[in-house]
Amino acid sequence: MELSDWDLVQKCQSGDMSAFQELVSRYHQKVYMVILGLLRNREDALEVSQETFLRAYRKIGGFKGGSSFYTWIYRIGVNLAIDAQRRQKRNPLEFRDTMDTVLESQNEVARDPFAEVHDRELRENLVKAINDLTPEHKAVIVLRTIEGLSYKDIGAILGCSEGTVMSRLHYARKKLHDKLRSFL
Amino acid sequence: MNDCERMEDSIGPWLDGELSAAESELVRAHVTACARCGEARLRLETIDRALSSVLVAEAPKIEFASFWRELQQRIEQKTPWHKRLLERASDWTSAPTAAWAVPVLIAVLIAVLSYESYFPIRRSRNNFATVESIDSHGRNVALLREDESKTTVIWLYQNQEGDDEAAEETPPAGPAF
Amino acid sequence: MKLLKKLPRRVLLFSWLSLVVAGTLGAAEKQPQSVQVSIGTILAGNQSDDFDVKLKGMEGQLKVLKYRSYRLLKQESQDVPWRGAKVFEIPGGRSLTVTPQEFQDNRVSMKVRLTQGQKPVLDTTVKIPNKGNFILGGPPHEGGVLVLSISAAAQ
Repeated sequence: MELSDWDLVQKCQSGDMSAFQELVSRYHQKVYMVILGLLRNREDALEVSQETFLRAYRKIGGFKGGSSFYTWIYRIGVNLAIDAQRRQKRNPLEFRDTMDTVLESQNEVARDPFAEVHDRELRENLVKAINDLTPEHKAVIVLRTIEGLSYKDIGAILGCSEGTVMSRLHYARKKLHDKLRSFL
Repeated sequence: MNDCERMEDSIGPWLDGELSAAESELVRAHVTACARCGEARLRLETIDRALSSVLVAEAPKIEFASFWRELQQRIEQKTPWHKRLLERASDWTSAPTAAWAVPVLIAVLIAVLSYESYFPIRRSRNNFATVESIDSHGRNVALLREDESKTTVIWLYQNQEGDDEAAEETPPAGPAF
Repeated sequence: MKLLKKLPRRVLLFSWLSLVVAGTLGAAEKQPQSVQVSIGTILAGNQSDDFDVKLKGMEGQLKVLKYRSYRLLKQESQDVPWRGAKVFEIPGGRSLTVTPQEFQDNRVSMKVRLTQGQKPVLDTTVKIPNKGNFILGGPPHEGGVLVLSISAAAQ
């Protein structure tokens, strides 16, 4: 029978490294995707993901189960990613390279070339628009879009109320819409 | 504020599944009937689809084995003391802790600044009198501080031409300090 | 600690700040109304080894001067308003004018002038600890020297 996250945490707290390994295997991809959504760079996202689990390992003794494990691990990861964003200095050209890499890796099926150009331009501008959001607004968009988390869970991760999550999402979506008006 | 303006703010939470059943029904009914809000819904759905395709699709799958190997190496590595200190500092500057730290810091600062008001006697025992300015109008003068008794002395030497007061005998020599 | 966590954060913050402000008001230095200035006029000499018992409290300070005998000639106290001058008569046709200036950090700043008749002998500004003193000495008198103990207590 599969152990719950809390069971695994308790085993970790007793020094069982294999329990921690299981937790990492369950969440490493999700954590990476959220952090990538925030940082927009694979190497940085990988580095911050590693740091997230390292911090979690060091602090797991103090985890009392007040929140779910995934809320806790996301909170560590998002905070580290927001800190990294504030330190990050990216130029638009580097950003475009990331986008090119994304498009190459997607292996898009050839279709109407006009639609393809339109979609490409939309995505390019969307990525730029996401990057122009503040770290806090980007975080709510990423957590909602990638993980489909509830406002309550997002609030627990970011340390704010559901109302704040709702207003940040509303603001972020409006901002994105305003910047992409001509493509929609 | 009309119905559409009220509804516009609710379309996002409705699409996110955050509204109650009753609220959802209200929004659904309005969006279906109102062209403007119907368009707002379509725009939001388009943005969400685009966001999904960018944020979800682009994330490559990480191979767990190499991720775990790298993580294990980091765990086994001893963290430099300055990095541990920074981690602690960043924990302490998190919002809930900082909310307590601010009034505590203010209280500590005020207590330190007010310390002397609460302990004036102790303070004065440690202090000498200080001479800020002196004009002996041409006479020799000496300043003395004696540590043991915390005494400040201003000593006027007799003017060589003599004071006005007539002395019956020669006054004793100045103090031997 | 759990109970504290349950209370609204703003209420707690307000309470903390109120405590701090109350403490500050209590600790704030109250400005004294006037200064009591005391002048002890002492005759120091080497003609005998007598030490006036009335000067017992000052023995440590007077020993610094290395005279063999000390006699208290007079002790006088007056309340002096801030920036107001008071004159003390000193033996030998002298006078001592004391003008308290200000009270800060529990110290009294004052101007002191010693005159011989109308002639100024010494002008000085000193800062002494509240209820503390300093010594002014040297003017010859009756075979010895005058030693003045000048103290101030802010009230």
